[in-house]
Amino acid sequence: MSHTFKGGVHPDYMKAPEVPMTVIAPPPQVIIPLIQHIGAPCKPLVEVGDYVKMGQKIGENPAPVSAPVHASVSGRVVAIEPRPHPLGDMIMSIVIENDYKDTPCEDMAPLTPEQLKNPDAILERIREAGVVGMGGAMFPTAFKIRGGIGKVDKLIINGAECEPYLNGDHLTMLNYPEQLLKGIELVRIASCVDKAYYGIEKNKQDAINLLNSLNPAKYGIEIVPEEVKYPQGGEKMQVKAVTGREVKPGGLPSGVGCNVVSTRTSYAIYQACYEGKPVIDRIVTVGGSAIQAPVNGLTRIGTPFDYLAEQCGGFVKTPRKIVLGGPMMGICATNFAAPTVKGTAGVLFFTEEEDKHVEKPTCIRCGKCITVCPMNLEPVFMYMYYHNADYKMMEKYHITDCFECGSCSYNCPARMPLTHAFKTTKVMLQVEKAKAQAAAEKAKAEAEAKEAQK
Amino acid sequence: MENKERIVLDVAFQPQVRTNNDTRRIMLDVLIALLPALAVAVWQFGAYPLAVVAISVASAVFFEWAYRKLMKKTNTIGDLSACVTGVLLACTLPPTTPLWVPVIGSFFAIVVVKQLYGGIGKNFLNPALAGRAFLLASYALIMGRYMVPNSLKGVVDGVTMATPLAEMYDTGVMPAYYSFGSMFIGKIPGCIGEISALALLIGGIYLIVRKVISWRIPVSYIGTVALLTLIFGREGFSNVDWMLYNILAGGLMLGAFFMATDYASSPVTLNGQLLYGVGCGAITVLIRYFGGFPEGVSYAILIMNLCAWAIDKAFHRHQFGVSKEDIAAEKAQKKAEKNAVKAQKAAETAAMKAEWAEKAAKEAKR
Repeated sequence: MSHTFKGGVHPDYMKAPEVPMTVIAPPPQVIIPLIQHIGAPCKPLVEVGDYVKMGQKIGENPAPVSAPVHASVSGRVVAIEPRPHPLGDMIMSIVIENDYKDTPCEDMAPLTPEQLKNPDAILERIREAGVVGMGGAMFPTAFKIRGGIGKVDKLIINGAECEPYLNGDHLTMLNYPEQLLKGIELVRIASCVDKAYYGIEKNKQDAINLLNSLNPAKYGIEIVPEEVKYPQGGEKMQVKAVTGREVKPGGLPSGVGCNVVSTRTSYAIYQACYEGKPVIDRIVTVGGSAIQAPVNGLTRIGTPFDYLAEQCGGFVKTPRKIVLGGPMMGICATNFAAPTVKGTAGVLFFTEEEDKHVEKPTCIRCGKCITVCPMNLEPVFMYMYYHNADYKMMEKYHITDCFECGSCSYNCPARMPLTHAFKTTKVMLQVEKAKAQAAAEKAKAEAEAKEAQK
Repeated sequence: MENKERIVLDVAFQPQVRTNNDTRRIMLDVLIALLPALAVAVWQFGAYPLAVVAISVASAVFFEWAYRKLMKKTNTIGDLSACVTGVLLACTLPPTTPLWVPVIGSFFAIVVVKQLYGGIGKNFLNPALAGRAFLLASYALIMGRYMVPNSLKGVVDGVTMATPLAEMYDTGVMPAYYSFGSMFIGKIPGCIGEISALALLIGGIYLIVRKVISWRIPVSYIGTVALLTLIFGREGFSNVDWMLYNILAGGLMLGAFFMATDYASSPVTLNGQLLYGVGCGAITVLIRYFGGFPEGVSYAILIMNLCAWAIDKAFHRHQFGVSKEDIAAEKAQKKAEKNAVKAQKAAETAAMKAEWAEKAAKEAKR
């Protein structure tokens, strides 16, 4: 049986795992946004003028769905102010002037061997180290794992890395195989399950062989080679490929007894527990036609994009787009001064070369969007209703199941903006729902007030 | 980059990359796939059919350009869809067609069938087939004059002859000079593009490999024709022979691979495509058995074109994450709710009736 899902596309992968991992020199100033996760924003723990050490916790929020942020260099805090965030807004950020000493912070000691067997200790450490879903979702990992305890019987580690260009996970597998397996073991222990399934796409055969040679069974891990197809790394697709289960509409993987944790997150958990190192760096793939050659750079969190481009040899062409993450699901940054965050797996500088925009596209009804949709949707009809602003019909066609993988738009020969339409509609439906709810509550309150008057 | 502040960055939702396979490339693939069939036409009928094809394509492209120009719409001849319509229309014409005929056919196909409904992707009939149907109705004589192919010269007297299916339809026997091999390769009289099953098969497989079309429509179409003719047969033929004649001798291959698979006029849902193919096959066989024509492919496809939207509406894909049990449970719940409502209504009516009866009794007492 081949491990895969139905639908999907085969984009030009443009991967360059043969480019060895380099270390990007830390920038003169790092910008640490106080929101690098889904959930409550952090509050700063330091003030302007304070000296911070590398790895020191500088922002935190006690809310359960949150993750602290740490200084990625040592030096003085020069500003705490709103700065451009890669996601577009101006977000309160802590700016640290680098003293290039990298004085380490000793607050976080490696866990003791006993603690390494204790789920609670591991989860506490995962939270303290600010580990979030580093595949791009940036959901606080400790909360996710804790929420799955008791429900989850199959833990899945996501090593598909199906997005074009990106090589971070692949290089992590090749450079730190043993550490990675230990990290996955920690996730497994924390999730209270006996076995973890590590789904890796077959285009990383060297990594599969290397990991298999290290006896993953010893750590309670089984390597599952998967067919090379985008979006294999989508959470629901991973669950389907490894276990054959289908996540319920609107539900979480834990609803069908699965939890999916990414490769880089597992490695971050290893670093947090065995080395006492919080999330302060990650491998970022820099690529695109505006850059001379792709770079797989170990980059400090908070490195601005313009500095990153400079370190990678500068621009050979004028960039038109900055894409964060892979090109299939990546969003566009609007500012060169915005920094990399925990979820930034890649920074791609695209020029006109990658642009295939068409004025006034016309659907030719070829149905190629239907055959590639991994969620069994029918984008051609959904778009028709979008065109007529019939959002009710779009809901009937299960628009809310769309997780915006972009396969339909990618494969569309007429270049229809399908994913764009669905993303817009989903936001609109959410707003409308919130409005309807508010109106209902208001009506209820008014009715109650009238009753009281009587 | 000193002046990076001046760089205007584009912002777009995902995906940021697109496939190279655009509309133009797809249409080019269809044109490439038709080349073997045209080569066979030249081999059997000489170079004249190429003139028919050229005029047909030129007029189709001209009408498309002129209509868009007159209506002040964006120019769409660059997507090559008009070229495809032109070639396909020529493929359905007899090899000796006068050169003014395809011009009229192209006008009907491009202007009336395609552009009046909004252009590419909006036409609900296959433009080439509709054009052929129009010509068949208008110039039946010209459309029924089939030239003797080069391979049969010397075997058959005269300049024109009936197609194998027409011969079989009229006389009830298949002439001895046709073998299955000669039919498969294309040594038979017929329309420009339809004679060689082999060439069309090569083109069709090319289209399937290039993922321009899916296997669903051609396989279900040809399969249905094969199955029905095999089961029902005809007097004077062995069932297998009769089936092979039906598949190889007419326009079935051209229709199944190139006409029925037209994007705009065929269903897009996967199961819908299967049903559409079965429908095309069934109607083709019905026409061949009971209709007034020896052929049935054109009308079968045009009739099913009209059903394509309804078929698409009827076939939804199963929702990801919803199993059959879930659907059954939901149905059961809905039924239970309905029954509950019914029971409530019944109770209400009963109560009302009782009230009325009471009132009536009171009135009666008075």
